[in-house]
Amino acid sequence: MGRGRLSVIAVGFMVAAVLLAVAGSGEAKLGRAGKIEVQRATTTGVLRLGKERGFRLFLSMPSPRVVLFYAVRIQNLDDDAFSLTYAIYATRNLGDLGHGVVRARFGSLGRASLRFRPGRQVHGDDPPGGCEGGTETAEYGSFAGHLSFRGEGNYFHVSSPRGKAYLLRSPRLRCEKGQAAEPPPRSLRKYVASSPLFHDDDSIALLYASTRSHGRYVGITAMHPEGSPPGADVELGIVDARQGVAIGHGAYLEGFAGTLLTSLPGVHPATATLAPPPPFHGKAAYSEETGAWTGTLGVDLAGLRLPLTGPGYRVHLCVVNPLTDKDGCEFFKTEPPYFERPARLGRVLG
Amino acid sequence: MRLLGATVAMLVLAAFCLAGSAWAKAGHDQPPAKQWIDVELDGSNDYAIHLSVNPRRHLVLQVSKEGFAAEYMTRDVLPEADRVKAKLRGMGVISLRFHPRGPVRHPSIPGCGKWRPTVQPGVVRGTIKFVGERNYTRVKEHRAEASIEEPRNWTCRYGSPFEFDPREGEWTSKFSATGEGFFFLARRYRPGLLKGSPVIFFVEEGEAFETASGRAPLTIYRQLKVPAHTATFDDAHPEHLVVAPPAPFSGTATLDRTPESVFTWEGDLAVRFPGLEPIPLTEPNYGFDYCLREVGCFKQHVD
Repeated sequence: MGRGRLSVIAVGFMVAAVLLAVAGSGEAKLGRAGKIEVQRATTTGVLRLGKERGFRLFLSMPSPRVVLFYAVRIQNLDDDAFSLTYAIYATRNLGDLGHGVVRARFGSLGRASLRFRPGRQVHGDDPPGGCEGGTETAEYGSFAGHLSFRGEGNYFHVSSPRGKAYLLRSPRLRCEKGQAAEPPPRSLRKYVASSPLFHDDDSIALLYASTRSHGRYVGITAMHPEGSPPGADVELGIVDARQGVAIGHGAYLEGFAGTLLTSLPGVHPATATLAPPPPFHGKAAYSEETGAWTGTLGVDLAGLRLPLTGPGYRVHLCVVNPLTDKDGCEFFKTEPPYFERPARLGRVLG
Repeated sequence: MRLLGATVAMLVLAAFCLAGSAWAKAGHDQPPAKQWIDVELDGSNDYAIHLSVNPRRHLVLQVSKEGFAAEYMTRDVLPEADRVKAKLRGMGVISLRFHPRGPVRHPSIPGCGKWRPTVQPGVVRGTIKFVGERNYTRVKEHRAEASIEEPRNWTCRYGSPFEFDPREGEWTSKFSATGEGFFFLARRYRPGLLKGSPVIFFVEEGEAFETASGRAPLTIYRQLKVPAHTATFDDAHPEHLVVAPPAPFSGTATLDRTPESVFTWEGDLAVRFPGLEPIPLTEPNYGFDYCLREVGCFKQHVD
């Protein structure tokens, strides 16, 4: 943790989201030894829709068969601390992205019927390291057609596909084992699941509360890294599905002093209270004795107001001494499948 | 620790720059001889005083008594190896000339093998006047025993007044705190490893007096090493530590973990160096770390 770190992370988050598809390439020759794997040819694309009510809006096609609409907002909590909130909507592309066509329905929230219009700018890149094959080309241009999208509760409204766009065409590549890009996930939920932004490896106090009911997953993590000033890093991820659309909401922030208070290591029954700053409100309390997660804690996200306590929550609390338990809080690594440990950042926004 | 290290590094660098600029100003192109002058003196109140000038013409006046040591460092404005002239910013003046007496010697130094220095014994004549802060010690001499030494290896110097016990590095647990201009260290040892006490408290303080031109004509380091009983460094619980060193320390300090999982270092612990007001060692903005030898360390950073 550390004030201002989130700002750097947040900027990285944005940049990664936008540039992931055209990231990293370099000429490479395959080694003679070792096995070869094939990276399938694919087309991806991005349409930047600008900013509305503080949200940066993007339409992203991380694979030919998936369309994501996402909104990201970064806000100052104080002079050098930030919070990041997002909403991601994932649905299937019914068009042929290889021919620049996007056709998607986001349930009652909106729809897209677009055709890519290439501009004059084309950029070619050698295959990424460890792979060989044809040239990857990025075509820059715009999309024409119809796009309408309303965030839940009208927190934003897009009615035109205006904005800069590009399509990235990656040829079939032969790669050394382990060098090929992972195939895109099949499940739409994985595209909208939150990704860990903060490292929990060096946390000496870590609280994780999660619930899953009626297809909605909610997970909140608060952690205090060893040696850091008062406060805690907080991550919230919500995964939902409606009308064939996977919807993800979430928040990341660096909480001030008082955000996470816990009993000390070795104290049983262990207790904790969580009171993060906005977009959260209220306070939650955990008691190891009863296993209860109670209180007024809730969150106000774009188009979503949600209580974050209740009997359906499972809570894990880890408070360790940095000397006597050098491995820190490791329960994320050993949890049963109930944990919906999110996908990598690039997968979510890519 | 980092702050102290940086401060020390800056001070040393500044001293080197000062020496270099003074040298250039004096119009001397040739490098200084690799010789040290060492002068032994007796200060008042049973303090020992050792005056030395190194090949870079840094003059260091070292005052010591039991676990206390202070170094007053300035520059020697004369380039000759056998002459010294320096002012200690209101605390004294040094103006002397070395006169050899007797044959050159090549004393052996433990651990240095064949690296025997060349030592020319003699006397210095002139003026040596030093008055410590609030007169905690003083010396005024016009003649004193001295030597000029040319070591063959910088680590093998005969005239070095301080000895280091390598076993002091074999601590089992230690706590250190760093504040503005000071460094505090408490170390615990296995019973019987060191003569006497299984706990050693160490504190170092430094200050530099700058002139209007930004130069530092006088730098002062003060150190204090105090052995103590086990009970003065109670770290049986790794998240609750109590330190209560004996005089010239006063008060106590505690390290505690708060419900925020932040470690705090609080209390009224202070140290009193000879001639100075007590220096508090527990300000809220001090960073610190605690280590168990077989396990590792944790640190508390401060914004």
